[in-house]
Amino acid sequence: MQRRRRSRWPLFGSALGVAALLATSACTVDVPTEDDNNDGGGADGTSMLLAADNGSPTFDRNFNPYSPGKRTTTTLIYEPLFVTNTLDGTETPFLASEKEQPDPATVIFTIREDVTWSDGEAFTPDDVVFTFDLLKEFPALDTNGVWALIESIEVDGQDVVIHLTGDNVPAAAIIQKTIIVPEHLWADVEDPTTYTNEDPVGTGPYALGEFTPNEYTLERNEEYWQVENVAAQELILPASNTQLDVVNNGYDWAYAFMSDVENTWVAAAEGNTFWFPPGGTIALFPNLTMAPFDNPEFRLGLSAALDRDRIADVAEEGYVDAAGMSGLLLPNQEAFLNPDLPDGGAVAQDVDAALTHFEAAGYTMSGDQLVDSAGTPLALTLTTPNGWTDWLRGATEVQTQLAAVGIEVTLNQPQPAAYQQELQNGNFQLSMGSFGGTGSIYEDFSRLLSSEFLQPVGTTTTANFQRYSDPDTDALLAELRVTLDEARQLEIAQELQTVMFEQAPVISMFYGGLWGLFSEANFTGWPSEEDPYASPATWDANPLLVLTNIEAAG
Amino acid sequence: MTEKEATAQGEAPEPTQPPPSGRKNAYNTTVDGGGGLVRVGAPPSPLTVLGRAAGTIWSVPKARVGLILLAVFVLAAVFAPLLAPYAPTDNSFARAEGGSPAHPLGTTTAGEDVLSQLIYGSRVSVLVGMVAGFGATLIAVLLGMSWGYTRGFAADVINFFVNLFLVIPGLPLMIVLAAYLQGGGLAMIIFVVVITGWAWGARVLRSQTQSLRSRDFITAAQFSGESSFRIVFREILPNMTSLITGSFFGAATAAILAESGLSFLGLGDTAMVSWGSMLFWAQNSNAILTGQWVLLFAPGLCIALLATSLTLINFGVDGLSNPRLREGKGR
Amino acid sequence: MRYVLRKIGLLLLTLWAAVTLNFFLPRMMPGSPTDAAIAKLAQNGPVSPATRAAIEAQLGVPTGNIWDQYVTYLGNVLTLDFGVSYTFFPQSVSDLVLTALPWTLVMVGVVTIVAFVLGTLLGVLAAWKRGTFLDSLPTLTGTFTSAFPYFWTALLLLFFLGYVLQWFPTSGAYSARATPNLSAAFIADAAYHAVLPAVTILITSLGGWILGMRNTMINTLGDDYVTFAEANGLKPRAVALKYAARNAILPNLTGFGLALGGVVGGSLLVERVFNYPGVGYLLYNAVTNQDFPLMQALFLMITVSVLVANFIVDVLYGYLDPRTRR
Repeated sequence: MQRRRRSRWPLFGSALGVAALLATSACTVDVPTEDDNNDGGGADGTSMLLAADNGSPTFDRNFNPYSPGKRTTTTLIYEPLFVTNTLDGTETPFLASEKEQPDPATVIFTIREDVTWSDGEAFTPDDVVFTFDLLKEFPALDTNGVWALIESIEVDGQDVVIHLTGDNVPAAAIIQKTIIVPEHLWADVEDPTTYTNEDPVGTGPYALGEFTPNEYTLERNEEYWQVENVAAQELILPASNTQLDVVNNGYDWAYAFMSDVENTWVAAAEGNTFWFPPGGTIALFPNLTMAPFDNPEFRLGLSAALDRDRIADVAEEGYVDAAGMSGLLLPNQEAFLNPDLPDGGAVAQDVDAALTHFEAAGYTMSGDQLVDSAGTPLALTLTTPNGWTDWLRGATEVQTQLAAVGIEVTLNQPQPAAYQQELQNGNFQLSMGSFGGTGSIYEDFSRLLSSEFLQPVGTTTTANFQRYSDPDTDALLAELRVTLDEARQLEIAQELQTVMFEQAPVISMFYGGLWGLFSEANFTGWPSEEDPYASPATWDANPLLVLTNIEAAG
Repeated sequence: MTEKEATAQGEAPEPTQPPPSGRKNAYNTTVDGGGGLVRVGAPPSPLTVLGRAAGTIWSVPKARVGLILLAVFVLAAVFAPLLAPYAPTDNSFARAEGGSPAHPLGTTTAGEDVLSQLIYGSRVSVLVGMVAGFGATLIAVLLGMSWGYTRGFAADVINFFVNLFLVIPGLPLMIVLAAYLQGGGLAMIIFVVVITGWAWGARVLRSQTQSLRSRDFITAAQFSGESSFRIVFREILPNMTSLITGSFFGAATAAILAESGLSFLGLGDTAMVSWGSMLFWAQNSNAILTGQWVLLFAPGLCIALLATSLTLINFGVDGLSNPRLREGKGR
Repeated sequence: MRYVLRKIGLLLLTLWAAVTLNFFLPRMMPGSPTDAAIAKLAQNGPVSPATRAAIEAQLGVPTGNIWDQYVTYLGNVLTLDFGVSYTFFPQSVSDLVLTALPWTLVMVGVVTIVAFVLGTLLGVLAAWKRGTFLDSLPTLTGTFTSAFPYFWTALLLLFFLGYVLQWFPTSGAYSARATPNLSAAFIADAAYHAVLPAVTILITSLGGWILGMRNTMINTLGDDYVTFAEANGLKPRAVALKYAARNAILPNLTGFGLALGGVVGGSLLVERVFNYPGVGYLLYNAVTNQDFPLMQALFLMITVSVLVANFIVDVLYGYLDPRTRR
């Protein structure tokens, strides 16, 4: 979601970068086409040029949907049971036509009929069960961790019945993301963890067309069960999608942060538009195991000391909004917003209030420095990953603003891998971080606040990096996990926002944008502020939503 | 070694460091002739030597241009706060502006004044060049000369270390070290550049020491019972002033280029304003697309000019020890 | 013979030390390969806690005692088995290296040779015509261009020749729909794509050769035997080429040998700017993703080729110039 591609090079590194593998594709011999970078652009209106998959610098032919190094578009060849709009949590049925939760420990997916694999074989509930069994047998494939949730699974006619390990309502949202593979082909795969699945056979709207290390195409699957909704006949995916390419080569859909987007992308061609909705919240993560961050008053002081609009403006060149303290992505999740929060959770800069909070935490202004009771000036270290430039700009602005209330902030910029390690081990004082954006309120808050993830400093944890622990919050999360009552779910969601607002376990600052660039020249009906049916993201299942909704122009 | 890593190892294309072997002077029978002439027995005071050397360098037109150019950059670095119209990190201006009277070179996409950044950026390059150049030369002198003078096991040990540092790919090593020493700021960059940049100079200095070792005046000193340390650093060293000076400028050039490369890759301190980091940010915010080619052009030109000034000075330094290389004289 | 044996002993020792360093250096880097993978995924959105475990299981990141890992590694080095890359999982390191190597060898190798030959010729000319236009032009231009940062030259060429004038492609080693093969059409296409990166390297490395050759040549021209030859009435051109240049080129050949050894390492920054699928780019990927197996193999390959080049030059020198043989 949020950050950029703008890390160090524009548009680099898709998920796990993937290499040049000339060798594997050397079997097909053909001569370079005349037009090298300028093909596509969909002159005929049915071909779409996409900046969705970046070679590093060339493509490796890997269409294993569970491999971290898979081609991004593998998720257009295969489908999950349901696709969630990560912006607001809306769910769209794909391979399952319906979902039912008769009790909090059971999920029943009704599997769609009349679906065929692209090789002509029929798709059945057995394929679904096979897939889940495969993930159980090879935990390395289970990237969503579904077998931590599932007790057992069985077929009942066209239904797949999943028994959970306990009452767990939000589990269905995770389970239904599982990408289903064909039993008749995958049953023979010896080691699916290293399998590269060079000739993928899926149920999705597209099948692999021509593959070369610098570019490949996906052709529409004419047998697709909702082929009438798929407007683009062909998708063209070049390996090189530098911002120069994106602006010059007439892309239909690209994902890229672009400085000065009006004068670059929008000005480049008629019909070019952009939409940058919030995809997550960028926040200051205080290490709650150490003073002064263990004191909520101090955290609220930090919160009041920040001018979030300015930080958002500096960090993302004015393309995103400041985030309030509710923990929600607004306006996406407006429906869940607690109406009791003042200003919808927004916190304006108020230096006096900040100093009052700091005083309550034992820090007072002395001259132009904030000092503790012993008179020692307060100095903090703020960690931000090297190369994530928008975060760095935000962090620099935080540094400036906190200096104004007498706090000396030093920036620590480890490489991204080291940053992950420091975050996971709690080896930081104050760190830039992000949360939210899964589309599930439970997931968002649980990963941020649940003591289930609590680990002492020095031990790796995969969530709750600030190491928050509060029995009342845990109780709320536990109830949210088991209740099927939607009204109660909403109530709990609102109470969790109050926790965020009053306890400030993390200090939200601004939204990380999803940098969607669209061209309406050949296709219309892209997701937009008016019609946010999907996010602009070009990875995971999101493109399924987009490509089954757009229409050919004119 | 066609890449930056070569540069980092001191193979910076510059004249004194002879084509990598560093054995140019094996063919040069009159190394100790010329301006900085020093003979055993009556060493002139260091100041006299320096003065004469400076005079010789200044007399070479190319070197003169280099000295003036260098002086401009050093002055810009020293007086940056006076010269720069704004603070380099002041981001309160309109973004991505073209040139205007208020901002002659425009502003960055973050709303900083480009000219101010350029002026402040000279500080990092000049400092890194000086300090890292000095550090690398110091190690090169100590190791290279001991290596050249001693024989047998000790020489092999040094040979081993120098070779090791010569063969490990420089830029990747710098990246690894930079990642390891993250957050160390300028000191880290200097350290990394020194560690990866001294070996070449050591090799060059060894060759010269070796060739001087068998000279009569050294043999004389040995017979008169002088300690090895004294022979190396009191008898041989003064004869190598120009080579060492050349090494220094070479190492400084390499250091400047290495720093800019590291910063450009975003592995330095991206929050620090340097020419390399300006290029990093320019590339990052796609200065090409926003038409801000100045952002790409100016910092690189400054790096090139600063490095050129050092190379030009070396033309004069060359003439110090080797009258044949002096300008203006036919062969 | 003893001289050569001693050199070989030293070579092996250095090799071992380099191999060992290659093992420990990457492991000094903070963060694990899994962290690097997660950090990359995190750029696209929230990473679920389950993902970490899955990635760790999939990559098979070694967890055992570092000493055991080292012994295994030494064994792997001897058998040239470098395992599977983390970044490009599940591809084998050998495949990746073999795929990237030809691009670098050809592009960087050819440029290095061209730069050396051209630079040496210009250097000879400059020294011979000392003080004239033919001297000052290449010398001064060379001084200036050799001070260009590689990446800056690359960016400028990309901007002017690639973007503004659109004469050359700005990225990759061949066209979008091409598949590498040995047809004339493909080779022409690849050559076209190699122009900008090659010119970048040429511009920035040419100056060094010119200046180096000019200096040694000037020295040699002043030597007694050259003066003697001139006094004997040989034509200046013959003196310059037959006597002076032939001797002056010796030390430059050393540099050339080492530069050729370094070709294997590719040119990281240039390949990066032009998205060129060579070894330098691969190395950059390996280092920034903490891809230990890939990094080790590449470091080893570069180290060995530089060492071997160095060794050959050393031995050769011992024979060509007995003065250095002590």
